[in-house]
Amino acid sequence: MSDRELKLRYLRSQRPRSRFAYWSALLLLVVMIGSWFVGDFQVEDFLSERRLQNLTRFLHELIPYPLQERDFNLGIALKWAGEILAEKGWSAMVVTLAISVAAIVLAGFGGAFFSLPAARNFTSPEPFLPSLRNPHWAWRFLWRALVWMTRLFLIFVRSIPEYMWAFLLLAVLGPTAWPAVLALALHNLGTLGKLGAEVVENTEPSPLSALRGLGASHLQIAFTGLFPLTFSRFLLFLFYRWETCVREATVLGMLGIVSLGYWIQDSRARNHYDEMFFLVLLGAALVLIGDLLSSLARETIRRFS
Amino acid sequence: MKMTRSWDRAFLHKGLGVRRILILAILSGGIWAFVQLDLNPADLVPTSGGVQVAWAFFSRALSPAIVYEAEFVPSDTPPLLWKALQAAGTTVVFASAAMSLALIWGLLLGFLASSSWWVGDPAGGAGNVTAFVRRSIAPVVYGSTRVLIAFMRSIHELIWAVLFLAAFGLSHLSAVIAIAIPFGGTLAKIFSEMIDEAPRDVAHAFRGSGASATHVYLFGLVPRALPDMTAYSFYRFECALRSSAILGFFGYPTLGFYIAASFENLHYGEVWTYLYTLLVLVILVDWWSGALRKRFVV
Repeated sequence: MSDRELKLRYLRSQRPRSRFAYWSALLLLVVMIGSWFVGDFQVEDFLSERRLQNLTRFLHELIPYPLQERDFNLGIALKWAGEILAEKGWSAMVVTLAISVAAIVLAGFGGAFFSLPAARNFTSPEPFLPSLRNPHWAWRFLWRALVWMTRLFLIFVRSIPEYMWAFLLLAVLGPTAWPAVLALALHNLGTLGKLGAEVVENTEPSPLSALRGLGASHLQIAFTGLFPLTFSRFLLFLFYRWETCVREATVLGMLGIVSLGYWIQDSRARNHYDEMFFLVLLGAALVLIGDLLSSLARETIRRFS
Repeated sequence: MKMTRSWDRAFLHKGLGVRRILILAILSGGIWAFVQLDLNPADLVPTSGGVQVAWAFFSRALSPAIVYEAEFVPSDTPPLLWKALQAAGTTVVFASAAMSLALIWGLLLGFLASSSWWVGDPAGGAGNVTAFVRRSIAPVVYGSTRVLIAFMRSIHELIWAVLFLAAFGLSHLSAVIAIAIPFGGTLAKIFSEMIDEAPRDVAHAFRGSGASATHVYLFGLVPRALPDMTAYSFYRFECALRSSAILGFFGYPTLGFYIAASFENLHYGEVWTYLYTLLVLVILVDWWSGALRKRFVV
């Protein structure tokens, strides 16, 4: 074996790799392929004659009703679209947007609050600086317990999907906009709390240690140290989560809150597929506008902080 | 006079100014939203019926059902816990089938949408034809791919599901495709960004030793982005689990179906059993992807 080959072989054996990552990827692959055998998906049936006929009929009905049996005419199309917009589309878009904004503001406050007790370095008897006296083990344990309780809470509210929260809250709170807003707020509070805690844990600790050395309390460190240091990153996450809020707010309407989803479900129930498709496109436009605004805001934050 | 000046200075200070404007925008947006939706804190106090439901529901949080709560259960029904496990299995099957499709589309479209695929030649110096392709065709390809991705992403999986329900009728495959379309779009977007932002060290070295642009891309850029891409795929798998559970509300046999059914039959203990099953599922994958990310970062 030549010198070069030996060297190559050595380099190959030294490459960074992780057995865990390898097996994880392999397992995921097996599960993904296996699901096609286990799941009762009936791929042939999907393309059966009956379903294809259904599809052509459906595609035909997507054409706006006044245009269906005639040549395309922009004036008629615009009039048709304008009527739907005036009747429900516009107000539904405003409600959808308002739900997402109200939810993300609530989630922002909640997430910022809960990110503190979820951060291991902050929530300890001696944050950022070892104290002279060693704290009692029970005291230490209590602080640690607070961290795990908060994390448990955050993971609980995060693991239950928004739609399910809305479904459950609707039964409790009745038909106001609150169930939708709270559902989105709860789920995103869980996410923002977790992300915020990670930000706090990854903050450069020296200014905070200095504050602690001057005798600052937990609250004082949080307000004068952590808040200014972590705020920009937290805002980045806030806008990133807002994008998903807009998407979800559209859908939550299907449970009966009058956002876009409500009218989509409504026009489907009345078999007005042309109207339904138009409303779906309105929702898509709203999501795209939200994405655009959010990326603009994030770009601004990145540039100026 | 002095006060105005210091206020001016504080406001014109680059970081502070923009941040303040953003905070004010967010807060006023929040107020607008609350007024628009007529959100009254008084409405947060549930109606007396609501209190009963809330109490009946949340009091069962610590005592989820082990056996069915219905008085009459057909003799051939499997035990509750077994059924919950089955529903969890279906949820996983739907989610992973959807993820497999989403990954294929995501990789394909992600490669097409990444601009390094076209302009990633750090050495420059291409022939006439290549330069022409790069200048005129490439932006059209990755531009239109990005538009397609944005369209796929901008419609929520549940709305895709409703569309497919109308187009094809209830079919398990259409649920899978409904999840796969927006997830594929998201994966494609994130993948293309990860490839475009991957460290260029290896790519430069390859280019310097004379590798072709395709080789640089496939062996210099993509492997550098691969760990991030894998970790992100796991995160999306967790999201797919949640979406697949939710599709149960539309009649597919995943966890959401049983949650809705038990809730409507007022069998709150069963609801918690299914909720905890979903919780365990999601936390498991969450932990898994977290562990994976940690290993990659170190």
